[in-house]
Amino acid sequence: MSKSNTISFRLILALALIVSACALSCSSRRETGAPANATETREVTDEAGKRVRVPVRPQRIVTLAPNLTEIVYAVGAGDRLVGNTTFCDYPEQAKQVAKVGDTLQPNIERIIALRPELILVSTASQLEIFTKQLDERGIAVFVTDPHDLEGIFRSIKTVGDLLGQQEQAETLVNSLRTRAAAVEDAVKSRPPVTVFYQVSPSPLWTAGRKSWITDLIRRAGGKSVTAEVEGEWMRYSDEAALASRPEAIIMATGGEKMEVAAALQKSPAVINKRVYGINGDYLSRPGPRLVEGLEQIARVLHPEAFKQ
Amino acid sequence: MTIAVQQNLVRGARSTLRRTILICLALLVALFLFIVVASVIGAERLPFASSLCALFTGGFSTCGLSPEQSAILFDIRLPRILLAASVGASLATAGAGYQALLRNPLAEPYLLGISNGAAVGTMVALVFFGTGQGSEWLRPVMAFVGALSSTFVVYRLARGRTGATPEKLILAGVIVTTFLSSAIVFITTMMDATRIRSFTFWLLGDLSGASSSLLIIAIIAAVIGTVVLTLHARSLNLLMLGERDAFDLGVEVERVRLIVFLAASLLVGASVASSGSVGYVGLVVPHLVRLAIGSDNRTAIPAAALAGAVFVIVADTVARTVIAPRELPVGAITALIGAPLFIYLLRRG
Repeated sequence: MSKSNTISFRLILALALIVSACALSCSSRRETGAPANATETREVTDEAGKRVRVPVRPQRIVTLAPNLTEIVYAVGAGDRLVGNTTFCDYPEQAKQVAKVGDTLQPNIERIIALRPELILVSTASQLEIFTKQLDERGIAVFVTDPHDLEGIFRSIKTVGDLLGQQEQAETLVNSLRTRAAAVEDAVKSRPPVTVFYQVSPSPLWTAGRKSWITDLIRRAGGKSVTAEVEGEWMRYSDEAALASRPEAIIMATGGEKMEVAAALQKSPAVINKRVYGINGDYLSRPGPRLVEGLEQIARVLHPEAFKQ
Repeated sequence: MTIAVQQNLVRGARSTLRRTILICLALLVALFLFIVVASVIGAERLPFASSLCALFTGGFSTCGLSPEQSAILFDIRLPRILLAASVGASLATAGAGYQALLRNPLAEPYLLGISNGAAVGTMVALVFFGTGQGSEWLRPVMAFVGALSSTFVVYRLARGRTGATPEKLILAGVIVTTFLSSAIVFITTMMDATRIRSFTFWLLGDLSGASSSLLIIAIIAAVIGTVVLTLHARSLNLLMLGERDAFDLGVEVERVRLIVFLAASLLVGASVASSGSVGYVGLVVPHLVRLAIGSDNRTAIPAAALAGAVFVIVADTVARTVIAPRELPVGAITALIGAPLFIYLLRRG
């Protein structure tokens, strides 16, 4: 063994000792115990099927997805929101709230520092790893997982109920329901337009049976050509997309210009110039503004139904 | 012993040429057959006879295919199969070249971090120059630069003062791979969410949606790289005896090394720019080829190119049909076929 090898071996050994020593002391120092201010709690089941103990009227809330932020404001509990994500930009006040990272990578230290009583997450966020740490501090994590418009209404009511804002939630859902019904009414007698929903062009991604997009398209007087494909969001075959002969293509548009997949250039939708970009915030956030998305889809699919 | 080998090499030159031509012809026929078979298989069922008829008339006659069916066949499926073929040929040839030059059976673009270098180059081109028309040419160029730089870094790291051992080479490859992986993660954080999803798929290898100019670049690169490496196959044979012996036998070691690095980087760069990192091809295919026909590079390199093309065509056909109309990344299939096959070969040999 050469000299440098011996040295590095000793270094590794020393490091290993330090690490194991710390592990011992750290674990012995761990505090046990409930949160200091024990408030009144109750047990509920979240949309991932997990039993969660939540405070009756949580005063400090963190949301980990833009749709949940929008729901919290819409049910009138925005003043109790102490943390949200960098994606949360609506309503305007949401931008001023402390940021805890984005939906995919929330910062656990910052979350804990904000001392929330309740964290609202969508299934997209990667919080499972931290559940134990949050549990130990008495921070409740409630998961929402809507798959259609009805599920989103349910989420809004549930969040309203969790935050003690049942009435506002009820009123909001009723008005959203009225708007959705008006749209469905307007397009009811029209023949459904077949639609391909493009999430990204290359590689081609689309929405399947379990996505609320499929439900929105159906309510808007369309029929998603991938409505029967199992799954929520998926990588889709170029040739299957073309072979489904969509009459219209709908894309969620964001900051940058979106293109139609090369494979769909010869589809009836492109030939007849029926390619529509709709603000992604109305389509990809399962919150109150999804109804705005529904109205816009209906208007592009059946413009004649909304002429007055 | 080295002299005996050399004499043997010289004596066998003519019969080697005949053998090479025969093997390559056989593989060419196989490649052609696989292209035809893969063209009539897909998520969408096309009428078999009409598809064959359209393929063999080169699309001049529709043979009763609807406009959509012929678009599926000629605009979507065939370009993808040709891309699979050139990516497979490129990666297998590059692998064979590295293995001969570095005298290391484990040398492979993916394991040495060279694919990752090309991926970083491509991503830099995408982030800073966008996805416009002109930038399509910039991506393979940047991928080539990335592949070449990481090749030299790995080689320098592995070589040190005492010369490169196979173990040091693999370690250097691991270091460069992990370093570049973190660079890739860093670049993806600068992109918006919808593009990240596309990129994670692209990084695993994705053959769909490559534009026609990228396809042409990939084909040209595959042909040039394979021809250049085949022309240097004799030098590579001698290099397999050791650099000093090769030098004594008249090989310009430095020049050959530079040419092999350039050609292999061209191959890896073009395939990564068009389809991401497809793993295991450069490892499995050259090994299989050498097992079947021996390790004479004059035969093994062109044979590896053709066999690699067939391998990736098969893998991609599985990727796009097995859960149709959904798709799997082709890199997952090559690893799924490649890893067990490789273990089997290791245990048997």
